[in-house]
Amino acid sequence: MIHFLSVPVVGVQVEVFSVLLVSALIMMALLYVNAQIKKADPYKKPSGVVLLATIYVEFIWNLTKDNMGKKAAKQYAPYVGMLAMFMLISNLSGLFGLSQPTANYSVTLTLALITFFLIQYTVYRTNGLKQFFHRFFEPHPLFFIMNVFGVIAPLISLSLRLFGNITSGTIMMGLLYSFTGFISELIIPFIGKFDFLGVVIAPIFHAYFDVFAGLIQTYIFIMLTTILIGVELPKEE
Amino acid sequence: MDIGRGLVAIGAGLAVMTGMMTGIGQGIAASKAVEAVGRNPEAENKIRAMLILGDAIAETCAIYGLLIAFLLMFFFK
Repeated sequence: MIHFLSVPVVGVQVEVFSVLLVSALIMMALLYVNAQIKKADPYKKPSGVVLLATIYVEFIWNLTKDNMGKKAAKQYAPYVGMLAMFMLISNLSGLFGLSQPTANYSVTLTLALITFFLIQYTVYRTNGLKQFFHRFFEPHPLFFIMNVFGVIAPLISLSLRLFGNITSGTIMMGLLYSFTGFISELIIPFIGKFDFLGVVIAPIFHAYFDVFAGLIQTYIFIMLTTILIGVELPKEE
Repeated sequence: MDIGRGLVAIGAGLAVMTGMMTGIGQGIAASKAVEAVGRNPEAENKIRAMLILGDAIAETCAIYGLLIAFLLMFFFK
């Protein structure tokens, strides 16, 4: 099955399969959780999947509310929650032998583009069309190019941060596995390429590169998304 | 092994040197966090969360350098 999936189809990257797989997984999980919540008794303590969903929603709601204010959080919290879920599962999918979707620049650029357009839309809705274009010429028209770079910078830094972390983790793990394979071949010459040292050494590095980096990058992405949108919102009295 | 490959290796090594300043910055952040915890120990959890967040953002710069080094190594064969 894995071998079949890794056969390069013309014009299709390997990550496309894992993107589809992760999306399907999220959809199925959401359907299941929805059914469980509808079945649950609202007068009893939540348990199991319902409790997990409650904690997750509360975490996202608090994070969004702290950075955006209550009114805007109602509009943006679903997007932030979905973003967090997709990135969380795609970052952790490396543990199950999939090629992570976030190790493909198209995926992270798409995620960052959505945030970028949301920021621009928020600027437009807060300040109006005139101010939207006027901010490019803010102190002086000569600053136009610098202002354009300032506007585009969040897009590049958001997408490259996630992509760079996950990709470098993947490459490091590949290097580590080839190294341990080489060493174990030296220790027992007849064993061939059987990588018994990698099984011992790799879990620590997996814990750092996949789990720790994946979780922290997810948190940073949603944090920066809420902050960047939040500073453009009108001030609440 | 021609000379171009060696130059690419030197370039990759130079690109990874972006990690130098990131290390200094993270060290400063960690020392400030230790000071803050010493000043009021009850805020330790909040300070730890902030430290990890700040460190991960500061690390971005080093990650860019690492990425450039990998790109150099793998695409200039």
